[in-house]
Amino acid sequence: MLKYVDVSIDGAIIHAVKGTSVLDTAVEYGICIPHLCHVPYLSDIGACRLCIVEHVVNGRSEITTSCTLNVEEGMVIRTNTDRIRKLRRNLAELLVAQAPNSRAIQDIALRCGVTEVRYPFRNDDCVLCGRCVRVCAEVWQARAIGFVGRGKDRHVEYALGVRPDFCKQCGNCVQICPMTIPPCDGPMKPGEEYLCRKCESQLMDETPGSCSWCKLGEGFGCGRYV
Amino acid sequence: MPRLNSYRELEHLRERLREQRQSITTTIMVCGGTGCRTSNSQAVIDSFRNELSSQGLDDSVRLCVTGCHGFCEQGPVIIIEPGNIFYCHVSPEDAFEIVYQTVVKGEVIERLLYEDPVSGERFRTEAEIPFYKAQDRRILSQNRMVDPCSIEDYISAGGYSALPRVLNGMTPADIINEIKSSGLRGCGGGGFPTGRKWGECQEAPGDEKYVICNADEGDPGAYMDRCVLEGNPHLVLEGMIIGAQAVGAHKGYIYVRNEYPLAVKHSRIAVEQACELGLLGDNILGSSFSFEVDIARGGGAFVCGESTALMASIEGKVGEPHPKDVHTVVDGLYHKPTTLNNVETWANVPSIILNGSSWFASKGTKGSKGTKILALTGRIKNTGLVEVAMGTPIREVVFDIGGGAANSNPVKAVQTGGPSGGCLPLEKFDLAVDFDELAEAGSMVGSGGMVVMDEETCMVDVAKYFLEFLQDESCGKCLPCRLGIDRMLEIITDITEGRGRMEQLDLLEELADTVSQTALCGLGKTAPNPVLSTLRYFRPEYEAHIKEKKCPAGVCKALITYSIDPDKCTGCGVCVRGCVHGAITGEKKQVHVIDDQLCQRCGICRSECKFDAIRVT
Repeated sequence: MLKYVDVSIDGAIIHAVKGTSVLDTAVEYGICIPHLCHVPYLSDIGACRLCIVEHVVNGRSEITTSCTLNVEEGMVIRTNTDRIRKLRRNLAELLVAQAPNSRAIQDIALRCGVTEVRYPFRNDDCVLCGRCVRVCAEVWQARAIGFVGRGKDRHVEYALGVRPDFCKQCGNCVQICPMTIPPCDGPMKPGEEYLCRKCESQLMDETPGSCSWCKLGEGFGCGRYV
Repeated sequence: MPRLNSYRELEHLRERLREQRQSITTTIMVCGGTGCRTSNSQAVIDSFRNELSSQGLDDSVRLCVTGCHGFCEQGPVIIIEPGNIFYCHVSPEDAFEIVYQTVVKGEVIERLLYEDPVSGERFRTEAEIPFYKAQDRRILSQNRMVDPCSIEDYISAGGYSALPRVLNGMTPADIINEIKSSGLRGCGGGGFPTGRKWGECQEAPGDEKYVICNADEGDPGAYMDRCVLEGNPHLVLEGMIIGAQAVGAHKGYIYVRNEYPLAVKHSRIAVEQACELGLLGDNILGSSFSFEVDIARGGGAFVCGESTALMASIEGKVGEPHPKDVHTVVDGLYHKPTTLNNVETWANVPSIILNGSSWFASKGTKGSKGTKILALTGRIKNTGLVEVAMGTPIREVVFDIGGGAANSNPVKAVQTGGPSGGCLPLEKFDLAVDFDELAEAGSMVGSGGMVVMDEETCMVDVAKYFLEFLQDESCGKCLPCRLGIDRMLEIITDITEGRGRMEQLDLLEELADTVSQTALCGLGKTAPNPVLSTLRYFRPEYEAHIKEKKCPAGVCKALITYSIDPDKCTGCGVCVRGCVHGAITGEKKQVHVIDDQLCQRCGICRSECKFDAIRVT
């Protein structure tokens, strides 16, 4: 039998199922918390840090990722404070500067309010969100790919660099990758990257933080669309 | 040796060991720590052994190979008891003279005594040396008494006395209350109250619990955990057994990095010896309590010092941290309640139980009790391991114990707490070694590294060094740590290479703040500290790099030029021969010239020049 707990998210008291994460609860109730590495049917690793929220404990607010935080009775969560918005914007800026050549990443940057990128652009193919690694291990039980290396050298790779027999080339890792769809104007050449900002009109300014079933959500694989 | 089945048998053994040792008149304690081994103490040990047997002194003189004595700079170090005579820089050839003069005749060899670099005075005993005098060596002083490979030594020195108290009479709640009221805090960096941690772990549901000793010390220049584990592994083991009894664990791990071969070896021997005596295993000392310890060796990743990454590593998974929304005292190793403490914290436990919490709390400040071991390194006269009472001002550590600047350059700053700590300027040297006070000033006690810097150290370069270290050691799992450190390093590299812009400083500050607030684990959260603290206290240095394109300390190669002072140059030709890049030209007895295009700013000419004629601007 499901147990329920009452949590307060942005002031709204939500009757949430015990054992679910704050992110799942918020998205289900129409409160949008931007996220990238979270996919509803995969385990959460808290790698992209975009879904950070303020968790108020004894009057002090701690910053933590909402995907790894489970709901508890009486919990107070704030998802859209100035502090959170600023941190999230800075994170999205880092992300889009690293990999501008993806519609999902451009969408997230826009959604998080990035208006300028203060770092030189790089043209990376992977943001190490780990969706592919987890879908391979958790859905297909194949573990054909994994993270290799540490820090700057970390990348996704077959074990020992050779495709093992148990990789059936199902392509699920490609499907779930946020980097596969190029920006609306087509792929950017190295050295010519820019912040796209094309889809701004689709954001509803009056109610920031609440889910408007935006097209952007589709782009970054928001939990409501998957 | 037979297994001990009760507290009484342990006491009998202790008495018997002490009786056996009464025939020993003199003990020669040679430091066999890693520091002294690198200065050839193994040969010193061998030559003493030969000397003693050839002079027939095997029975009356005991040669004790101990752990680190702390004064690593003076190694190999030996102490002769009785008399507490302290000899330093001992070579294997000195063994004969020491045995003949000091051991047999009782005379002191002046030449081997420690000479104070400031006053030139020679000191006879360890206690008189200023380096030791100002310290408060509660843990380290036990190092010099025992041979780490001998449980007999530890027992006859009074070891394993706290254990029977814990097993007979004290309830887990008593132990935890004792630790709580002692005010002991985690010495590994976090400073979390140990008693509270144990209490939470004890209350956590589940029968299967674990205790772990974290000996994965990886800060550049810090080695206190290594020395304690290497020099007195039984002390740590005793602490762990007490902790396990308190929280209700039956299995413990010592997670030690494989780069510490001596620590791995000694802790293995200690565990074997304790098992043999029945101090580990089933029904310890005849009680109902059972506890066993395994050694887990780490691959040397800095991030594995973080608790969740460490536990993942013990489980055989990739050493990566995971979110701690549920604390490890509830959901830790193998998803069971786990108490993880640092080596030094465990080593403090037996004496708290033995002497009482008020004894422990008699030293220290309001928030931080007891002592702290610091690894004092950098541009000072006396480097080594020091143990001071909490609340000792940094000034005292650097100038009284450390002896002040190593050369004529005045001390400028001190970096405390390793890569996660911060740099404090000379004005802040009155701050005390105290968890809260240093954290307020933007630094931290951390594990206890203390690197002293002088005027020839560029603070921007220091920040860059630590960022490079952290970039190498970051696991790369979370975005702010992986990309944030990378971008901070990019900006700082721009600054040190003369491409910096003033607005980048604000960006650097904002980015550092973002990383510290959003990173997944402790490594990422504290990674910006070197940047933030140098920006806070040494902003003019950053501005000089950006606005004037100058490095005031003369370190950043892109911003300095080497030239020869024509008034001082005598034309001796030393620099011309010394320059490996062929950048210096000049006839003999003529003023030499450096070709700026060819000069690689290596500084060889400057160190070779006897007339101080090479200028760095």
